[in-house]
Amino acid sequence: MGQLVNSDNRMPGADKEADLTERIEAFLADLKRGGCGTGPIRGSGETARETTALLRKVTAQARWSSAGDLMEIIRKEGRRMTAAQPSETTVGNMVLRVLKIIREEYARSRGSSEETDQQESLHKLLTSGGLSEENFRQHFVHLKANVIEAINELLTELDGTTDNIAMQALEHIHSNEVIMTVGRSRTVEAFLKDAARKRKFHVIVAECAPFCQGHEMATNLSKASIETTVIADAAIFAVMSRVNKVIIGTQTVLANGGLRAVNGTHTVALAARHHSTPLIVCAPMFKLSPQFPNEEDTFHKFVSPHEVLPFTEGEILSKVNVHCPVFDYVPPELITLFISNIGGNAPSYIYRLMSELYHPEDHDL
Amino acid sequence: MSSRGGKQKKGNVTSEQEEEEQPLQAVLVADSFNRRFFPISKDQPRALLPLGNVAMIDYTLEFLTSTGVQETFVFCCWMSNKIKDHLLKSKWCRPTSPNVVHIITSDLYRSLGDVLRDVDAKNLVRNDFILVYGDVVSNIDVSQALQEHRHRRKVDKNISVMTMVFKESSPGHKSRCEEDDVIVAMDSKSKRVLHYQKTQGLKKLQFPMNIFQHGSDEFEIRHDLLDCHISICSPQVAELFTDNFDYQTRNDFVRGILVNEEILGNQIHLYVTQDGYGARVSNLQMYDSVSSDMVRRWVYPLTPEANFTDQQGQGCTHSRHNVYRGAEVSLGHGSQMEENVLIGRDTSIGANCHISNSVIGNNCTIGDNVVLDRAHMWNNVHISSNVEIHQSVVCDGAVVKEAVHLNKQCVLAYNVVIGPNLSLPDGTVVSMHHPEEEEEDDDDEFLSDDQEVGHSKDKTRQKAFNPAEVGPEGKGYIWKASMNDTEDEELAQCLWGLVLNPDPESDSESEASEESQDRSRSVSPEIDDVNAFQLEVLGTLQRGLEENIVCDNLVLEINSLKYAYNITLKEVMQILTRVVLEYPFQQQGTQLTTLQYTGSLLPLLKTWSPVFKNYIKRAQDHLDCLSAVEELFLEQDTHQTAMVKVLMKMYQLEILEEEAILKWFSTGATNDKSRQLRKNQGLQKFIQWLKEAEDESSEEGE
Repeated sequence: MGQLVNSDNRMPGADKEADLTERIEAFLADLKRGGCGTGPIRGSGETARETTALLRKVTAQARWSSAGDLMEIIRKEGRRMTAAQPSETTVGNMVLRVLKIIREEYARSRGSSEETDQQESLHKLLTSGGLSEENFRQHFVHLKANVIEAINELLTELDGTTDNIAMQALEHIHSNEVIMTVGRSRTVEAFLKDAARKRKFHVIVAECAPFCQGHEMATNLSKASIETTVIADAAIFAVMSRVNKVIIGTQTVLANGGLRAVNGTHTVALAARHHSTPLIVCAPMFKLSPQFPNEEDTFHKFVSPHEVLPFTEGEILSKVNVHCPVFDYVPPELITLFISNIGGNAPSYIYRLMSELYHPEDHDL
Repeated sequence: MSSRGGKQKKGNVTSEQEEEEQPLQAVLVADSFNRRFFPISKDQPRALLPLGNVAMIDYTLEFLTSTGVQETFVFCCWMSNKIKDHLLKSKWCRPTSPNVVHIITSDLYRSLGDVLRDVDAKNLVRNDFILVYGDVVSNIDVSQALQEHRHRRKVDKNISVMTMVFKESSPGHKSRCEEDDVIVAMDSKSKRVLHYQKTQGLKKLQFPMNIFQHGSDEFEIRHDLLDCHISICSPQVAELFTDNFDYQTRNDFVRGILVNEEILGNQIHLYVTQDGYGARVSNLQMYDSVSSDMVRRWVYPLTPEANFTDQQGQGCTHSRHNVYRGAEVSLGHGSQMEENVLIGRDTSIGANCHISNSVIGNNCTIGDNVVLDRAHMWNNVHISSNVEIHQSVVCDGAVVKEAVHLNKQCVLAYNVVIGPNLSLPDGTVVSMHHPEEEEEDDDDEFLSDDQEVGHSKDKTRQKAFNPAEVGPEGKGYIWKASMNDTEDEELAQCLWGLVLNPDPESDSESEASEESQDRSRSVSPEIDDVNAFQLEVLGTLQRGLEENIVCDNLVLEINSLKYAYNITLKEVMQILTRVVLEYPFQQQGTQLTTLQYTGSLLPLLKTWSPVFKNYIKRAQDHLDCLSAVEELFLEQDTHQTAMVKVLMKMYQLEILEEEAILKWFSTGATNDKSRQLRKNQGLQKFIQWLKEAEDESSEEGE
């Protein structure tokens, strides 16, 4: 990244801006085309990093004089980015994180602590209208450097998330256990591989039709010499009685502690509940979204029905409607534990994490 | 699909960059060069017609951009100004666009051939390029095909000139265009196209045997392919179009390449994909099915809610059962959007409406108790209460008054007013342009826009609207009143494609006969050409004899005649044989005795044997020649005894091979007459002799 900034410095200002918009456009186009159902082209970790890096570039290059201006710019870009692929919540999350950083840095520059601002009582909320925005008009010389520094810290945090989660594996996986997982998650893969260094256990992978990412997961696990079995999705309930623990990944953790995860996860969660098998969700903090599961329109993602009923089928296609949703909603009561990069948490604690990560005023861009 | 492709694409780009820094180019032909969408395309070029409230050309450009095309040349002819305006306003012409769009307009393009000749003349392409029409909707990842194409060109230098992209889809699929229905014979291993033929509803198809006689031992004959009209071309394609000025369409080109494969050494390959979606909107039938496929998300990620054109306010939300709603849509009490419905922004819908499988544009108003099924309504359409519309297209600004009933496959062109209290029969086309004005303009269809508009205005003033046809308050002219009128039937075919009713029962008989008529009309209008060609050949040979011209030059002349009259190689040979055998009759009258006939013919055969040898090379040619001989002697049955002598001479001159003669003798008999012919004593003796000769030679060989 440093390299890029250097090369940019040599360019005249106009070129720099054009270059920035070009990169944002390219990122947006990528997001729009992102994924045919198996998920985005890159992992959500990568998307998070890329978003943050872009926002850092915006902070560094855009013209702004006060924190308020900057927040407005970030919000504008953030709206475009989230609109490009509403199902990719990581992008929106990172925008909120950056906004929160700006607020904090501004508050620190002013000498007051952000903490007091945030802890508004219900009474205070009712009496005082939106007074916060005009407070951001003050100019500070070091604000830019500080914000960029803080975003860099965020980037370092993002880089380490998978490792941080994987490190906790030994606390959760014990010898000779049977673990079930569904589909493919990079986080879960790293988690299991880490545990496999010390312990011997068996993994059952539900293939996760129609995209069958489970196959890839199983191949990767067996390469790491983990004993792996692939089962059809229909066999999940039958096999569940033998399973000691279910460990899954997710696409998004919702504000109520529920999940938006790949198709088939709900089946697994219900089967696990029926057999009282603990369900552990490996989810880095950047997947935590302030979204609630009632926003119907952007919540679901339907892709080409090709995988369900191939185009080659011919005549039948004009007589039926085929849908191919990508995500399941898993309600919080089916989840036992979240493992994030900052440790294990129960679903009921999500609200607290939410208020730590995002500022309540930013929840909708 | 696209995600996997995305990765590959990135991989490709890096690997290519090592080899060549050339950006990927594309040629987009934003003109159909036909009038299938008339009268709709009288006001708006086809590439700009909205499909799912987005102009079709935007789909094509998005497809090109997502495959990594960095430079696109858009060629426009008909209403090029409108296309240009549209593109300049779109996101493709923004400075940040990864795909640089160049717009090239000319009123002189009349076919794909003209465009490609211009590409060659202007030297626009430097490398392999993608060739598409401006009405192709696709999300196919062609990077794989591109890689294969490049690999092939690297392995055997410049032999493969084109890779056509096909999508697998079994017959009966609604998105298969009846007109583009093709049968392809291909080499399974190398994916080389051996034979390419449009089926055009034929029940019987013929494949030349020789295509299976060389190359590898695995062949596929496929009918489960959907032509996506996406082709990856080498720069030579443009040159070949320049060299062969008679090529008009890609079809001409493909056939030309295949026919001349041995002469020019060029090959065409095929890329068959199962993933992705690709179809060309070539008529309204296809428009209907592509639009419904798009709403059903087959073209993901090019879905309505993705707003890939990046226009302000175009965004919409997607909810269950594929219901899409733009901004500010109001829906009356009791109205239902059942499934697969797309509603543009600022549209208001009254109470108790039933809408299913329909696309409604921006700024439309719809009254109460309206039933819409498979309706395609564009922008600013006004529908009053109690209207029913089934599978019809209603263009911009049209007004449908109270209690109007549009049956299947009606088209209301721009600004038409219909009703009230009227029911339009199936397949009615109403336009503000008068059909007769249309006919008058027929000759100069490539008039500039302004002229057109001027004309039409004059005429609309002259002719009054018929209230019986379009209703008391109606405005517009019926383009087609009933199905019985033959001329009008053609028009309906033009708009909606050949198969009007998709149920298989009805189209079996009538359609087949219709199509075969069509075929006889379209494929063999060369009857005159053939006759003319025959006369020319005769003249050439005569002159050759009189002026003692060398046979090589005769061949050259005949070849040029072949191109001039667009005659196939097979026909050339048959006609040549015929002309030579009839030559004595031509010269000395038909009253010759057999002896005189042979006496004058045999020296001629000897003189012209090099000409024959030039055309008769492959086994199939031998058989064709023999059948031509047979045909002639069946007609001239008094001279049948001469046939043996002719065959003998031809055998001795090594024009015909013995194997071919034996094969012809054993298999060729198809009717009584020819069987009779084979019983001729002389012939039987000759065959006997041949067989023995063969035995002897084979024994000697051993």
